[in-house]
Amino acid sequence: MDDYLILDNIKTYFPVYKGLIRKKQVGIVKAVDGVSLSLRKGEILGLVGESGCGKTTLSRTIMQLQPATAGRVLLDGKNLCELSSSKMKAERINVQMIFQDPYASLNPRMTVYSTLSEAIATRYPNLGRRDMLERVSTLMKTIGLNPSQMKKYPHEFSGGQRQRIAIARALAPEPKLIIADEPVSALDVSIQSQILNLLLRLTKEMNLTMIFISHDLSVVKYISDRIAVMYLGKIVEMGDAETLMENPLHYYTKALNSAVPVPDPDIERSRCRIVLQGDPPSPIKPPKGCAFAYRSPLPHTQEEAEQEGHLKEVRPGHWVEVHPATVDDYRQYA
Amino acid sequence: MPLLDVQNLKTYFHTRNGVLRAVDDISFSLERGETLGIVGESGSGKSVSCYSILGLIPMPPGRIEGGKAIYDGKTDLLNCSEKELRKIRGKRVSMIFQDPMTSLNPFLKISTQLMEPLFIHERMDKKKAFDVAVQALEEVGIQDAVQRMSMYPHEFSGGMRQRVMIAMALINKPDILIADEPTTALDVTVQAQIMEIIKQRQKDLGTAVILITHDLGVVAGFCERINVMYAGKIVESGTADQIFKNPLHAYTVALQKSIPSLHEKGKPLYTIPGLPPVLIGERTGCSFAPRSELPHTPEEAAMDGVFTEVEPGHMVEVHPATVVNYKQYL
Repeated sequence: MDDYLILDNIKTYFPVYKGLIRKKQVGIVKAVDGVSLSLRKGEILGLVGESGCGKTTLSRTIMQLQPATAGRVLLDGKNLCELSSSKMKAERINVQMIFQDPYASLNPRMTVYSTLSEAIATRYPNLGRRDMLERVSTLMKTIGLNPSQMKKYPHEFSGGQRQRIAIARALAPEPKLIIADEPVSALDVSIQSQILNLLLRLTKEMNLTMIFISHDLSVVKYISDRIAVMYLGKIVEMGDAETLMENPLHYYTKALNSAVPVPDPDIERSRCRIVLQGDPPSPIKPPKGCAFAYRSPLPHTQEEAEQEGHLKEVRPGHWVEVHPATVDDYRQYA
Repeated sequence: MPLLDVQNLKTYFHTRNGVLRAVDDISFSLERGETLGIVGESGSGKSVSCYSILGLIPMPPGRIEGGKAIYDGKTDLLNCSEKELRKIRGKRVSMIFQDPMTSLNPFLKISTQLMEPLFIHERMDKKKAFDVAVQALEEVGIQDAVQRMSMYPHEFSGGMRQRVMIAMALINKPDILIADEPTTALDVTVQAQIMEIIKQRQKDLGTAVILITHDLGVVAGFCERINVMYAGKIVESGTADQIFKNPLHAYTVALQKSIPSLHEKGKPLYTIPGLPPVLIGERTGCSFAPRSELPHTPEEAAMDGVFTEVEPGHMVEVHPATVVNYKQYL
């Protein structure tokens, strides 16, 4: 078995309370609702979806920062959901996160050296001063910063450099799996390409497995081997990056794809853009049946809309939620 | 006669570390009904230039050191009194900001915020203003507008809030709408909706739009003319076709090259070497020269670029380090 990470029917629910003193549970938010996927060693999986679709909750569940309501997270064969908190702490060295906003995710009162050495010490607690210094400077060199800057504070760096430091911190404990949660969304285009190059180079050099979360399909397409599209807590389409981009089947993937602006005036003027109507439904009161049906322009009856769609493997490795409102000509897959 | 004519605008910030030249001598004009895009990285001065026009620069530390912004051939927005400016701001020229979370007042109902410009500028009575506001909400695609009017901003999603902002900005049918990164904080699908609405409302009202963004994809489909800014200066200006099909300035070329969607998988993305310059202190020579891959001597780098019209409507900063074969344009 060469799958490094397996998610088996993960469900993460949040209770909704009403009232200040006498709290009453009035509902449930199904942030992640039955997600199963697996990652091979060294693979980059892109996770796309609108805000509120559960991408971030899923990544927090993998990290066990948020306990799963049901399901299993298998990392290298170990079920993380069953580990005690102290054992989980030890295991977490292998899984590291990179966050969206490098302004908020670095401690402003710690120098680069203290930030990085703290992270290195989780893997190597008994390192001498000189060894630590050496490790910090090699790490800074790998991510393209000058080691002479290690005594500086985060505010002395630009946004792109800060994101590099955040990446260095994630790499410091020598993890095997990286979860990058919108790592380039807050950055300018020119800096974005530097960071993407860096991430790609590092995953290759260190044989890292990565989950790359973003709402920008053009970025995800470029960096990932496989892509999973999430909508309201569920995976609605998953497959090879190439297949999914060139031949998307789910209408939501098509809409996401066509919403990405193309930097060419001719294409922009002539293309027919699929603009989805409305907002994603509220996860507190999800519509009955297929959550996408009421935004879908595909013809379907009310009865059909209230039926659940099912994730089917339509081609080897290409999974899609088959439902009258989500794919053209759904009968051929049924 | 252009609707807005900005000439030699200079906005400096006097900081403890020295004078920061955020906008350094830029000129551009905007015709009635036109869509102008201003593109550049963060810190290139694109927002500051538009804030200066509306008198929204905090002074101190900011100071407008020179220039004119002639609106409608009469009023100079940079040198008129606060009273005059108030009559124009929000009525003739209005603005949408990047973050709809922070630009709506969380304590006030949508109705209060939407009707306020009508009370101030049109002196409408309450009943009429309410009807106009409801209609404005409907026009930006908000359903159940009457119920929505009595809600607070936190009850709206990000995309809905940005729609409310658009409705509010356009409620007095302004001549100019300045949209400062209106979709940066939003998802791609919502971004497509919002851009569609701005386009539609622009068509209905004949408003001129200035779109400030760092996303080249958005301007390609939306704008007729584009200004590219770098380090407080406009380095290239032209129609969308000129900028995208025949970019001349090395920075414009580099920006376009670094977009991931145009890259083949597996090949490293193009990156611009070096970092944007520090804007504090006196600058001489071409600010892009240190990052340019075009061959140039140190003496040439110390020369100033010349902003020249190279073909009708296409202006570019001509300098050995910015334009290939620069001599042909001089």
